[in-house]
Amino acid sequence: MEFYLQFGYGMMQHCRHLMSKWGGGTAILSPRDLSPNQLLNISTQITDLPGGQILLDPQVYLPHADHERLCSHDYWPCDYNTGTFFQGHAGRELVRKLVDLNKAIGSREIILPGLLANDIDDIWIESQRSWLEIVREVAGNYSVISTIALGADVIRNQNQIDSLLEVAPSWNADGFYIVCEHPNGNYLVEEPLWIANVLDLVAELRFAGARVILGYCNHQMLVANLVQATAICSGTWMNVRSFPPEKFRTAYEEEIRQRATWYYCPQALSEYKVPFLDIAWGQRILGTMAPPPELDGGYTGRLFEGPQPTTVGFSEQLAFRHYLHALRGQVRALESESYDEARSAQDYLLNEAEDFLRTLNSIGIYGQKRDFTAIIDVNRAALALLHSRRGALLRRRWNSLNS
Amino acid sequence: MNGNPHITAAWLAKQFPDLQNIEPLSSGGQKQVFSAQHSNDGDVVFKLIHPGVDVERITRELVAVASIHSPRVPGILGQGIISTSIGDCFWLREQRIHGHTVRECLANGPLDTSDLLRLALHISEVLVSAEDINIVHRDVKPENIILDSSGDFWLLDFTIARHLTLDSLTATANVLGHVTWGYAPIEQCLNMKGQIDSRADLFAFGVTLYECSTGINPFSNGTRDLREILQRLQTVVLPPLQLTFSSASEFSDLITTLTQRNRVHRPQNAREAHNWIREICAREQVQ
Repeated sequence: MEFYLQFGYGMMQHCRHLMSKWGGGTAILSPRDLSPNQLLNISTQITDLPGGQILLDPQVYLPHADHERLCSHDYWPCDYNTGTFFQGHAGRELVRKLVDLNKAIGSREIILPGLLANDIDDIWIESQRSWLEIVREVAGNYSVISTIALGADVIRNQNQIDSLLEVAPSWNADGFYIVCEHPNGNYLVEEPLWIANVLDLVAELRFAGARVILGYCNHQMLVANLVQATAICSGTWMNVRSFPPEKFRTAYEEEIRQRATWYYCPQALSEYKVPFLDIAWGQRILGTMAPPPELDGGYTGRLFEGPQPTTVGFSEQLAFRHYLHALRGQVRALESESYDEARSAQDYLLNEAEDFLRTLNSIGIYGQKRDFTAIIDVNRAALALLHSRRGALLRRRWNSLNS
Repeated sequence: MNGNPHITAAWLAKQFPDLQNIEPLSSGGQKQVFSAQHSNDGDVVFKLIHPGVDVERITRELVAVASIHSPRVPGILGQGIISTSIGDCFWLREQRIHGHTVRECLANGPLDTSDLLRLALHISEVLVSAEDINIVHRDVKPENIILDSSGDFWLLDFTIARHLTLDSLTATANVLGHVTWGYAPIEQCLNMKGQIDSRADLFAFGVTLYECSTGINPFSNGTRDLREILQRLQTVVLPPLQLTFSSASEFSDLITTLTQRNRVHRPQNAREAHNWIREICAREQVQ
């Protein structure tokens, strides 16, 4: 599994910095957060970096929304009178413009539009099929990634997921870009079936030979390594670490407001506001919360050098870069030769976090809504269901998925 | 023979002088089955299909069996229509396999490891052959599998086989499909025709293997009615088997995978299942 950067508000500098540090990488660009000119500029800057690659998420999740920035892009559908902008002339025009844009920015694969599904019904299925048919006509040589955007209720509904599992593998896409709304808008998902069903979908598509990119992830989706997702994507703010469909409807300015700075403690799979690090400092265990060397990108040193954490100026910029660097490191550390090894690695990750969280919680250090304590069993339950459904076949097919 | 207006062996002997030693084997509402010796083909099974049975269904069985080209499916040696006292009857003369049905074998308890693995290997071979020509057997169960005197297993009775490329003969509006309860998967029980493919046979095959391992059908044993079987089909995940050969854990995984409720969680096709079984059998030195 790889780690891709998910573009969101204010991501340009981080992306350039991290890709330079990593010697390359892939970024999913966000037209919602970039003007047409910025899109071209940042694409050039990334693709000019050694190993730098980009993909463009067209973000046609809610095409009837009038999000100002999205509407400023040439490809954005502006005529819904017929209600069939994904078919016929209108559909072809949209795809043609998207193909042109992808060529202009140097993307080697095209991510197709995908409507947000609140129900796996015939219209949604037809729209998915139609985009693929059109793009094969318009740009036959392009590698094509179909977007599957799912509302939370779809994912938690077994019948809906079963319907999707039946149809999606036959769409004949080269890959899938899956974005999933979290239940109740929570940052960390508390419903094991939601996680299990996302994993089930990824597994089915991987078994069908497609690449699968999971967009808008946080560290909870490290579990996707067990189904050999091609990549998980994450970014800076919470709204690029989970998929909130509403942000593609709401005005751009609404999100620019003061937020707390969070430190990601990878061994606890939890994030902490800096004032809680003061408690760890007071309890003299702050050092145990420092990232292990293999996940340390040099962004958090000042937090652990001795002074009280709230006094050292741990900035939002450092927090974001640390999160993304550490998460990428965790993704790489999960690489496994076999399904059983991958499963053990997940167990180890959860068990170690659980032990550490018990210690932290016992002395008053909490991650509040980003504390993984209650989530550990969620992931365990999801993994158990995945194993029951797919374990034996994942074990058998592991190497072929890996190749 | 019971007292129903059926055809007697003696009457048949007069109509088919090339058949000797005709003995009734079984009799049901739709057909009578006899054993006999044929002057050229040796031991045969003679099936007489009663009037009123859909001839197209019978034709499909003939085509299915003839097309599969599997050495583990009894060959059809002759066919025709004969006028009888109960009306015009379709008849079939098939290769007779001497042995016992697996149902009969199970009367003595679960199969031993060697038989169990050979059954898995041989029947999965047939399912691959059927899948290759788009045929789903739809009635894999211990009654339709024979263990012959050489230790080989044969799959019988393609009467309700489905050609996936031909229109279904079961009314689409029927809520319930034409199935043997306890072996058919949920999609077949609920007559979800668009979802019936070789993975339906893999489910029934998995249940058969489970029953041959334990002596118990996990979906029908102790049930009160069809609704309870349906409920089990939707809720029960088979527990791991307690077998004693070295690849037992993997064999148990295989059966769990074959019997998944959702067909997308089963092996993708019969060939994948067969290759898996072949690997297990190779390790256990079973052919």
